Amino acid sequence: MNPACRILALILASWLAASPGFAQETSERNRFFVQQMIDLAAANNPQAVETMQRMLEQNPRPVASDPAAASTALQQGQAALQRDDLNAALSEFQKALQADPGNVDAFNHLGLLYRKLNQFTDADRALQQALALEPTRAVAWFQLAQVYGLQNDERRTIGALSNTYRYAQNSMRAEEILRYIAENEASDTLRNAALGTLRLHQLPVQSPIVPPLPNNPTLFR
Amino acid sequence: MLLFRIALALRNLLMLTIVLATTLPAAAGQYETIDYYVQQMIIFAGANDAVSVQTFHEQLENQQRPAPGDALQARPFSQQGQEHLGRGDLKNALAAFRQAFIADPVDADIAHHLALTYLRLNRPREAERLAVYTLYLASARSPAWLTLGQAYGQTGDIPRAAGAFANAHRFARNQPQVLEQLRQLATTDSVDTVRISALQALQVIQPPTAAAPVSTLQSPDPPNSPPSSTNPNSPRGASHPQSPDQENPRQQIYRRSIPLTCLIVTSRNGKMTDLGSGLLVSPDGLVITNAHVIEKAGNLAVRCGDQESVARVRRQSRKPDLALLETSLKSSDSFVLNKTYHQGLIGLDVFVIGNPYGLEGTFSNGIISGLREIDGVRYIQISAPISPGNSGGPVILGDGTVIGIATMGAKVGQNLNFAIAAVEAVNAGFFDSARMKSQALKDKGP
Repeated sequence: MNPACRILALILASWLAASPGFAQETSERNRFFVQQMIDLAAANNPQAVETMQRMLEQNPRPVASDPAAASTALQQGQAALQRDDLNAALSEFQKALQADPGNVDAFNHLGLLYRKLNQFTDADRALQQALALEPTRAVAWFQLAQVYGLQNDERRTIGALSNTYRYAQNSMRAEEILRYIAENEASDTLRNAALGTLRLHQLPVQSPIVPPLPNNPTLFR
Repeated sequence: MLLFRIALALRNLLMLTIVLATTLPAAAGQYETIDYYVQQMIIFAGANDAVSVQTFHEQLENQQRPAPGDALQARPFSQQGQEHLGRGDLKNALAAFRQAFIADPVDADIAHHLALTYLRLNRPREAERLAVYTLYLASARSPAWLTLGQAYGQTGDIPRAAGAFANAHRFARNQPQVLEQLRQLATTDSVDTVRISALQALQVIQPPTAAAPVSTLQSPDPPNSPPSSTNPNSPRGASHPQSPDQENPRQQIYRRSIPLTCLIVTSRNGKMTDLGSGLLVSPDGLVITNAHVIEKAGNLAVRCGDQESVARVRRQSRKPDLALLETSLKSSDSFVLNKTYHQGLIGLDVFVIGNPYGLEGTFSNGIISGLREIDGVRYIQISAPISPGNSGGPVILGDGTVIGIATMGAKVGQNLNFAIAAVEAVNAGFFDSARMKSQALKDKGP
């Protein structure tokens, strides 16, 4: 890109970010971009997914009022989650987010917690907020995929799994996890979505469908 | 409210346009980068260019390592996997090694065992990816190169398989052991292309001595068989020192028929697609085989005896499943097609020569068990064993004439094999009376 155009584009972006009413609509806008990332990933359009990712990355990160308190609450929330004390965990994660509204880990854990509580709308919202703050967080995409899988939304599950693979730190590990799900998962939606994701990325997987028998199965040639 | 939403949408669109304009081109993925270096090492290994192999080896070594995993969590799964693998329980081995790999994806031993398990499960594409990844973790790991070679061999990619095998030898701590493994693969592996690839690798590694011609795919001569006086590698005994008078009739049939029986190798886009047999039916190089042997061919290569030639399809048909090939082969002798087809044939001895699973020149015998007409084509049912790779080869009577062309066998039952009756070749336009010979049985008229 022409350097002059690039500078102009960045100035324009800064002006838009500073315009009145921008902050209020950020949350809605971010959800829009996360959903776009899901839809575009499911449609196997990596360039457009990356574009949406960059849109989200341009967001100013909320300032932490008390980072130390947030860190303590997050640790306590994780400990509560470990001992399956979900109410205490919920309270601690909420405290962490009050102290640091840009804490991706807290949103991610909150998403996990809501999923355990079968509160899928809340889980969806928390995970989308995590991804709005850090759209390359593979584990949040994986959590989100499971939330959509539990809601039998196969297309969005594929999109989220596709982004899990795209942003995984170790793509081979992610590939193997997808194969594991595609071959072993009991939930039809999640299993089929993993299969669809592997095919979307042209990765090898054993088809669970038994191939039709040849016309004359008794003869070889 | 509507105006506000429109304004918001416009702003989003504008932002999108700006970001689109500043997006950098996407970089190659992690696996693709690793794979590139591995492929370069394979190409140069195949060309025996040690310096270039080393260059790309160093580049691969310089790649950023992945983040460490949880070795403690992975260990018990890995041990379970090895136990399952040792017992041949591949399904549970896969499950265990997968768990181990997910827990600790930087352990090269686990990654390689997972690749090996996929290979044994006949899942070469997964095996390939895991083997390449293992080489990213430990690029001089000889067993991973061997696994990668076998994975390519299973998919029919001979050049890449041979290159990977060559690297298995290059990076081996115990090179004689790997040499022996390659010889084993070259002689006993059930996949034709793995055997051929291993042979090619042996030719690259040790051109003058260890590299055996493809014909040594056969088992070594039995202890009682006499050595060939001219070519110690020749399993065919082309210059058999034993007097023909000392041979039994079966040996005489073998000795006369083997130079007239052809190996047919088909390829497309540089990859071998099929392997079969054929029979030389004229002194100027006409070869009959099955049409299904050559149906996927882009290029055809034929070897009969010590001669090799490219081939052109002169005629082929689905019913009967036959093809007539033109080659540049020259021979003083050729097979005679026997047009006889009647119940009097049943019970006669027959001999089959061909290249089952690439085992060149395999000779076996049996009897004519029956005559069958399938879809309007006359077949001779024989008890002589045939396997994939025998297709298109001759079924020979005791007088040396060809009574049928080996075509197919029943997967169920035992020794229920079928050859297209030679008379079909004569009657269906595959017979050129000016160049080929045919006859009927003299003492078995209908």
